[in-house]
Amino acid sequence: MNKNENEKFIITVNSKSPSKDIIAFTKLVSERKKRIEKASSKPITSDPINELARTLHPERLFLIISEIRDETKTTKTFKLVADPASTTKQLAYFRPGQYLSLKVEVNGVIITRPYSIASSPNEALKGFYEITIKKEEHGFLTHHIWDNWKVGTKIISSGPEGFFFYDPLRDSKQIVGIAGGSGITPFRSIAKSIIDNTIDAKLTILYGSSDQKDIIYFNEFKNIESQNPEKIKVVYILSCEEISLEGCELGFITADIIEKYSTVSNSSFFICGPQVMYNFVEKELQRFNLPKKQIRREAFGEIKDIINYPDFPQDLAEKSFELEVIMGNVTKKIPSLATESVLVALERANLTPPSKCRSGECGFCRSHLISGNIYVSPISDWRRSADKKYNFFHPCSSYPISNLKIDVPRHVI
Amino acid sequence: MLNTNQKVEESYDVVVIGAGNGGLTATTDLARQGIKVLLIEQHNLPGGFATSFVRGRFEFETSLHELNSWGPDDNKGGVRNLLEGKYGLEIEFIPIPEAYRLIITQKGEEIDITLPFGIENFVSAIEKAVPGSREGLNNFFQIAEECNAAFDYIGKMKGKPDQSVLFKEFTNFLRTAAYSASEVQLALDIPQKAIDIMSAYWCYLGLPLNRINFTIFAMMLNSYFSRGAYIPRKRSNEFTSALDLRIRELGGKILYNTRVEKILVKDGKVKGIETSKGDKINTNHVIANISPTLVYNNLIYPKSEVPEIAYKDVNARIHGLSAFVVYLGLNASPEELGFNEYSYFIMETANTGKIYESWSKLKAPLGQATVCLNVANPECSPPGTSILYITTLFRPEVWYEVKQEDYVEIKNKIATELIDQFERATNIKINDHIEEIEVATPITFARYTRTYNGVIYGYELESWDSLLPRFMMMNEDNYINGLEFCGGFWRNAHGYSSSLASGNLAAMLTLAKLMKRDD
Repeated sequence: MNKNENEKFIITVNSKSPSKDIIAFTKLVSERKKRIEKASSKPITSDPINELARTLHPERLFLIISEIRDETKTTKTFKLVADPASTTKQLAYFRPGQYLSLKVEVNGVIITRPYSIASSPNEALKGFYEITIKKEEHGFLTHHIWDNWKVGTKIISSGPEGFFFYDPLRDSKQIVGIAGGSGITPFRSIAKSIIDNTIDAKLTILYGSSDQKDIIYFNEFKNIESQNPEKIKVVYILSCEEISLEGCELGFITADIIEKYSTVSNSSFFICGPQVMYNFVEKELQRFNLPKKQIRREAFGEIKDIINYPDFPQDLAEKSFELEVIMGNVTKKIPSLATESVLVALERANLTPPSKCRSGECGFCRSHLISGNIYVSPISDWRRSADKKYNFFHPCSSYPISNLKIDVPRHVI
Repeated sequence: MLNTNQKVEESYDVVVIGAGNGGLTATTDLARQGIKVLLIEQHNLPGGFATSFVRGRFEFETSLHELNSWGPDDNKGGVRNLLEGKYGLEIEFIPIPEAYRLIITQKGEEIDITLPFGIENFVSAIEKAVPGSREGLNNFFQIAEECNAAFDYIGKMKGKPDQSVLFKEFTNFLRTAAYSASEVQLALDIPQKAIDIMSAYWCYLGLPLNRINFTIFAMMLNSYFSRGAYIPRKRSNEFTSALDLRIRELGGKILYNTRVEKILVKDGKVKGIETSKGDKINTNHVIANISPTLVYNNLIYPKSEVPEIAYKDVNARIHGLSAFVVYLGLNASPEELGFNEYSYFIMETANTGKIYESWSKLKAPLGQATVCLNVANPECSPPGTSILYITTLFRPEVWYEVKQEDYVEIKNKIATELIDQFERATNIKINDHIEEIEVATPITFARYTRTYNGVIYGYELESWDSLLPRFMMMNEDNYINGLEFCGGFWRNAHGYSSSLASGNLAAMLTLAKLMKRDD
């Protein structure tokens, strides 16, 4: 302090007894010691806030299949309950539209797949989730499921995840669900939540299928509609040759159809279906020039035809590369293809990397790219800005276009 | 079930638990000294509360409003000296244009004033609004300056200052150290309205003026107004990820997604740790970027190694507040919406005690601190959009009885009330522009960081447990040999700057112990 002591302002806080200011200071430490000495020595054993956090967002759920229903020739609904032999004692409530990331061991390799929860949050309180899965012709996972999943099969899952849900602070009370194929599943959860008053909104579903026999939940939705005509309406759009269903539309979910069945300017659009449907519907919606906030789409999983993306380096399409992977104590070199995500290469090598959404969105697989180059499609690039600066990346939406050296967090299955 | 070959089973000189601000700087410092150090984090990201997340086309800052210890080129603060000077990180920080706009809406006591940085400017602006304030305010900042100098001295003396030097050089510091902010403000004859205006940052410390220790309050204000405030251009993830990389470059190892379940202690000495991944690591030194509350109650193994005094220490402290944040991605530009200021403090009463009380009820509290990121950082979101955070605080106990099925409805109701409170106070309409919204509660903060009870503000800073008594007891508050702490629950108190500095100090103390061993 350079100030001349004579000029210095000296404060008195206790004006009645100025000397007490200094005495109060000298007692600070002894006061603190006294308080500690006098305190209880009982351990703290509860943490209700973390308990609620873990109830709502469990790291994993141990489930067991309690019932299997055929929906169509190629789709089944699996009813999942808490495995009584496990640490999962109750199911997490969720927001209708969210998904579970299931972990499945296929031929000794552990992979994850996100499936929308088709049941309602209130049914989770009653003790079950339902997911509906479509058997894919070339999907090795769904073949495995069809061959192996029985009542009593144990399933490990993440907690409910994802951002595809109605939010009353953001969305219009008039929801238009645009669904393609098995993309109908989150709308079953949303519809159930509307009729049990968990959600205060109306729902019109424009549901595209290739044929009447492929429509999932047909009878169930008929019932829901007839009992709640004010709140729920389903329009079927079939891409087959001739009308086989009374009242349905033929063709695709075009702007004309969207306009015919909704008040476009006043609705929130929720889109869920295969990648080709997004591409089509989003183009159709452009006609209305809607603000972005009115259109929400579910993450559609891994991009399977990455070579069709115009900025993908086509000359590398046939190439394979070597990945040098550091995970915990292990450094391992594994093969990979330019046309497959880094995540798939890691799974194939059975390194059990972390993953949930498989769409680049949730960031759970975030890893560090030490060297090499990756391709990330702009439509599935959800990296943080500083992550781009420092070469952190999401393996589920990244494709190797050179040999890579990467550091991947470990994950307990 | 983990790939067993990925398990880490080896010895480290030091294990740092938690990659929050303190854990990151502690690890960086040790790695710089060539110490074999392992940093373990339960989440998959560095930073703890200091990170960011993406929704749609928006990247939100998780908790930072502004940093008062970065500073301009000619007046660098502690954080800048550490990150830029000592560690050589290249991170771009952006200055906040003005200190804050304070809006008090209480009938008859209305205030709506925008205040500049710079002590001179700040004092003049208040003098203009409340004539007769200048002298008291100048004395306030003069004492604040003396507090800074006193702390530098106490730090230099490692918590054992020469009492005669304190009495001679730092009289005003001594005379105020045991009082609350409001006791000193009244003694300085600062008019009540000027006190209301000057004290808006009180909520960053989370205690009303009649309970917050004067010294820390004065030092905080001094830091803000002498240096201004800054934010990282690419959110906090920019410097926390930069620290992560620097640690790797220096040869330190980081394990994410890994939770430490046990700190093994034998005969009062740290022997190692065990993790949720089955790692068994030998070490004689642990730095915990976790609250003593969790370390002593949950982590020390066996429990018989926890001395009674450790439980007493934790139980004597008053656990602080948690937060509630509404993150909004808006589909209109700040100009279209009418945002002129970065930082808005909106209070329904000037009485800070009443606002604190309102944090004990499960409804929208009487105050909010709101930030429009684009005003300082125009490129933070796409053209024609803006990012707004509405923050308030809660006592965690308020949320104890919430059932999982009621959780979303409750948080949405409070968020709605806070948005309305903002609209009423500022006349800026945001409700129709919400493109993305995320609402974080104490449960959210617990979810991602596992902080005890969702607390973000460490232990409350009443005078008896403020910085000075904490530092003067720094040679007797370690109850287990080989265990150090850092982070918001430790001596330096909460906040980004304090946490970053606390890691630096924990590394120094651990290093000193390691050197001693080598002798």
